[in-house]
Amino acid sequence: MSGTLPVSVLWLLPLLLLPLAVYSGFRMLIGIARKEQGAEERDWSVPQIEFEGGEISAVHRWDVRFKLASFLLLAFLIVSLQHPQTAGAALLLALVGYRLAAIPWRRGLKRLLGMAGFLSMFLLMLPLTAVQQSSDLVLVFGSIDWLNFNLRGLDLAILIILRAATVALLMEPLLATAPLPVTLAGLARMGVPRRLTELLLITHRYLYVFLHEARRMQIGMEVRGFRKSTSLATLRSVGNYVGMLFVRSFERTERVHAAMLARGYQGHWPQPISFNVRSGDYLKAGLVIGIGLLLVICDQFLGG
Amino acid sequence: MHISDGVLPTAVALGSYALSAGIVVWSLRRTPTDDLPKVAVMTSAFFVASLIHLPFGPTSVHLLIPGLVGALLGPSAFLAIALGLVLQCLLFQFGGLTALGANLLLMGLPALLAGLVFYHFKGRGKKQRILVGALCGGGATLFSALLLALLLASGGEDFMGVAKLALLAHIPVVLVEAGVSAMVVSFLLKVKPELLDIPFVLKEKL
Repeated sequence: MSGTLPVSVLWLLPLLLLPLAVYSGFRMLIGIARKEQGAEERDWSVPQIEFEGGEISAVHRWDVRFKLASFLLLAFLIVSLQHPQTAGAALLLALVGYRLAAIPWRRGLKRLLGMAGFLSMFLLMLPLTAVQQSSDLVLVFGSIDWLNFNLRGLDLAILIILRAATVALLMEPLLATAPLPVTLAGLARMGVPRRLTELLLITHRYLYVFLHEARRMQIGMEVRGFRKSTSLATLRSVGNYVGMLFVRSFERTERVHAAMLARGYQGHWPQPISFNVRSGDYLKAGLVIGIGLLLVICDQFLGG
Repeated sequence: MHISDGVLPTAVALGSYALSAGIVVWSLRRTPTDDLPKVAVMTSAFFVASLIHLPFGPTSVHLLIPGLVGALLGPSAFLAIALGLVLQCLLFQFGGLTALGANLLLMGLPALLAGLVFYHFKGRGKKQRILVGALCGGGATLFSALLLALLLASGGEDFMGVAKLALLAHIPVVLVEAGVSAMVVSFLLKVKPELLDIPFVLKEKL
């Protein structure tokens, strides 16, 4: 179907409200997820080094190197899909995989919410600004001739959202099913420089220290009557706050480094993590990559 | 603003992965082993600073501080941003997997450039340092917004509208960044001026 389709101006309203509806839908979902979790605020001073749960699913028992390699390949195969049908099928499969990996839904929801603003922008802009091709079906709203709603643009936006949501759901089984040191050791075995993975480990520890410190400084500012507004005074206070954060962290660095050297730090830590490959690891990798390839092949057939 | 997965063409996503991996290795080589804990601690501080939201009229913007990262860490800035993005993805459930390379480029390259500019033009005077700091802060954010628009536009003509909107949305961020960077530099000049004297070593140093 192609050409222009004149419709009433009133149609404009639901079509423009669509992105807003998607965005607020996401917000509602995260609200529900928060309630499930309990409303209390997380204590940032407790490091979240371990993941939740033990070896509770097949994904948890999977060798981390195979898991990283197959999921990364799968993610790239999924973002190469060119049709909403296959991308939709990929999303359904990702939901099934997510369920099988036994991960709390709120983690995945949080990832989806993080993208909601960015993706709503595509849903709003692509139908209105997509370049009109001869095969496109375009809605024209009554007498407003400068605004047309290109259905191919809407298709494109939906495709992008489906691909983004699928990869976001894949990331949880990929990253949240092993403790961070094990994931990083796996990355190191796969050729990522050891210095890089060890830096990640140190940074990870300090992150929580500074989140705690920043929170304390913020409370101090609020107690002294600081309220944010669009003003030079806010800018100055926040500048001082950020500067103080840097000064404190820098001074702490020197003490930490001296302490590490005193304990014999020579650039790396002993890593008592061993990997042993079982046949199941190959099987799972084959399954995951096979699904990805199958989706891409179906996608090619749809292309025609 | 982060690019999410599924937006960029696969070739662009793979290409930016390769390019940013190369720059991370370069950045790692130029960071002396003794400086690694410093990079780690400073990265955490930048990460926390990037969680601060500032009101701007009816909306609010959050700090990105690529200019300050560059000015304070020099060539290690790219490494610091890589660490920050990976941890954000791992621990805070935010950021893309296939778009990681592209996000790293669009935040890391401005930081490196800001570091280079700050190192060469900071001069001796207090006023000049604050001014250069503001220019680096605002300029790095503007450069980052341009890279974002460029990457989005790589999807084809259909994405031009989105790219323009993304660029426009960054105007308030550029202003706030310039202001905050100026304030932070003026604070550091009073409290710990040696932090601003990080050499931007371009020679190989291991």
